[in-house]
Amino acid sequence: MASSSPGRVVAVTGACTYLGGELLRRLEEDRKVARVLALDVRPPVLAAGGKTEFVKIDLTQPTIDSELATLLERHAIDTFVHGAFLSHPTHASEWAHELEDVGTMHVLNACAGVEPRRFVMISTTLVYGAHPKNPNFLTEDADLRGHRDSRFVNDKVRAERQVQRFAKEHPRVEVAVLRFAPILGPTVSNMYTRFLSRLIAPVMMGHDPLMQFVHEQDAAFALQRAVESRATGAFNIVGKGVLPYTTVLAMLGRVPLPMPQLIARQLTKVLWTTQLVGSPPSFLDFLLYLCVADGARARRELGFSPRLSIKRTILDFLGVAPEDGATDIAGAHA
Amino acid sequence: MTDDPDPPDPSGDDDWYGDSDPRVPDASAWPDRDLDFLDDDAYLGDRPELAAELAAERAAERQYSADRPESNPATELRELERRLAQQRTPVFPIDLRRRLPLEGVWRRWRALAMWGRSDVVDDFGRDPRATARWEWLFEFLYSHWFRVETTGLEHIPDRGRALLVANHAGSLPYDSAMVMHAVRRDHPARRDVRPLVEDTVFHLPFLGPVMNRIGGVRADPENAERLLAKDELVAVFPEGEKGMGKLWKDRYRLQRFGRGGFVKLALRTGAPIIPVAVVGAEEAAPMLGKVTWFARNIGIPWIPVTPTFPWLGLAGLLPLPSKWYVAFGPPIDLGKAHGPAAAEDRLLVNKLADQIRTRIQEMIEELLRKRRSPVLAAFLG
Repeated sequence: MASSSPGRVVAVTGACTYLGGELLRRLEEDRKVARVLALDVRPPVLAAGGKTEFVKIDLTQPTIDSELATLLERHAIDTFVHGAFLSHPTHASEWAHELEDVGTMHVLNACAGVEPRRFVMISTTLVYGAHPKNPNFLTEDADLRGHRDSRFVNDKVRAERQVQRFAKEHPRVEVAVLRFAPILGPTVSNMYTRFLSRLIAPVMMGHDPLMQFVHEQDAAFALQRAVESRATGAFNIVGKGVLPYTTVLAMLGRVPLPMPQLIARQLTKVLWTTQLVGSPPSFLDFLLYLCVADGARARRELGFSPRLSIKRTILDFLGVAPEDGATDIAGAHA
Repeated sequence: MTDDPDPPDPSGDDDWYGDSDPRVPDASAWPDRDLDFLDDDAYLGDRPELAAELAAERAAERQYSADRPESNPATELRELERRLAQQRTPVFPIDLRRRLPLEGVWRRWRALAMWGRSDVVDDFGRDPRATARWEWLFEFLYSHWFRVETTGLEHIPDRGRALLVANHAGSLPYDSAMVMHAVRRDHPARRDVRPLVEDTVFHLPFLGPVMNRIGGVRADPENAERLLAKDELVAVFPEGEKGMGKLWKDRYRLQRFGRGGFVKLALRTGAPIIPVAVVGAEEAAPMLGKVTWFARNIGIPWIPVTPTFPWLGLAGLLPLPSKWYVAFGPPIDLGKAHGPAAAEDRLLVNKLADQIRTRIQEMIEELLRKRRSPVLAAFLG
């Protein structure tokens, strides 16, 4: 039934994530797209239009790959968007591993047989890890060093390595990996928005790394571009500009709580174990060292450049207009 | 703090309300507003060929919606959904602001927190306001404490990239601060020097972030290349940690110049090298010995022992008021002489690095001869 209608057929895993949902809405409006398959464990809020069909797919099930392969074949999928990744760390690390690392394996197993024309993966810049030796701007060629003790990051690194291997073994498939900087905005919910929503934010005493965000609408646009375009390889999707961590907190009106490293780590360990905070102690390294990526390649090859600066992104996240007198911008154009 | 209104950005890059973005309709008056007056014909004027194009596009549009009767004006719906979701997921203090009369307090707190920092920094973290905040200290050190005498500033170009290569001394990088301040203060173009800072100093608590805010960049070949590509003035101290860890008996004897990374950099980017000699820094913090025991545990390579530190506590880290001389030498254009391919020639790179080291050593000897007697004059000038 499907192959008769013209236009592209796109499958999206992780349809209930922020980026997945935004992509579904944008594809619904795209005239070149004939049909969209939304794959997730629960039905997403479907935009009106009727192109989108929800299929329940649970990537943690052991034989889901053959099921997925039949689905892809039946619907003649030509673009596969893999976005079934967690946006914040979880205590259920076994399940997270099944979903992200093994789930990616299932997806790639299914795609290896069908060979869709294009494969887009959603990743994050956290895969580079925060290391004292990081240059100020990490390019796509930098090692994916991941992060010691952080299963949240390392599962994504392993998933990316699998996709890289898949790209090598299947040169006919255009594989693009989008590494998003932490996404900030009024509607998105992830580790960073939760972290920055708290009134009190920990600061590693005497350290103040530069931070980078991308606005949710910019991120969604980048994903849409990646689905449309034919560019292959990895792309950092980052916002315009950087800001020191304490300036971010000051703009958000949060109360910084400076702590010596040792105390911060022990305290976070206790709070994480008792499930009182949403980020594990290993995340503290991102408050110590740089993890900022360079978006030049996405601008050059993907035709994506962010519309909003980091300052506007933060203010939009906060929900204040610039007239609010929230920050003074006299030095902004100096 | 001032409550400056946001100046309109004509480029439309920072489009807060999304006015210039066709994807974001103005939903402020939606759905009451009548959009009929927005007829495209009004913009076309007397260009019939555009009108024909438009008519064709409209026909396609109508055909599209006729094919799909269930489709909606989806962009507007999306915007509305976005705004509804925004209402549903309020960030904590915003919620608080709606319920409690705390808005004034919160606003003051944010203004206070933003004191002395600007909300825009450059790509490498230099904060114009923080720089201005520390200016008085550098000016005091430069003209009153060290009484720096600077020569050869005319060798620094008004525009374009250049690599300043200097000797290094002292347990805290006062010398890079003085080189930076000299150029900003006395050079006609008032250029900003971006000093490359060793890892150990860059990751020191408190000092590292301050150095970063006033223009310091972590010493890394990728960072340096990026800075030079942006035509900045970059200062390197190739002696690095070894230069800072020199004992008093080795003063003004240049250490090995790293692995010649700065030469490769100059060859690759075509930036001229400007040799810089700094005299006086050794006497400002004469290192009598260094203690390595326990130092690694607190994240520094050694604990310096000077006539004042650690005996006077933190006050002992203040430099002694020695008399300083800073000399900038004529530029050496390696890129022109050898070409970028020479960066791969290790023997040549090492030879060039040593040549420049010798050149700086000569400049130092010259400056030292200016001083009348070896020790006392170091302070009296």
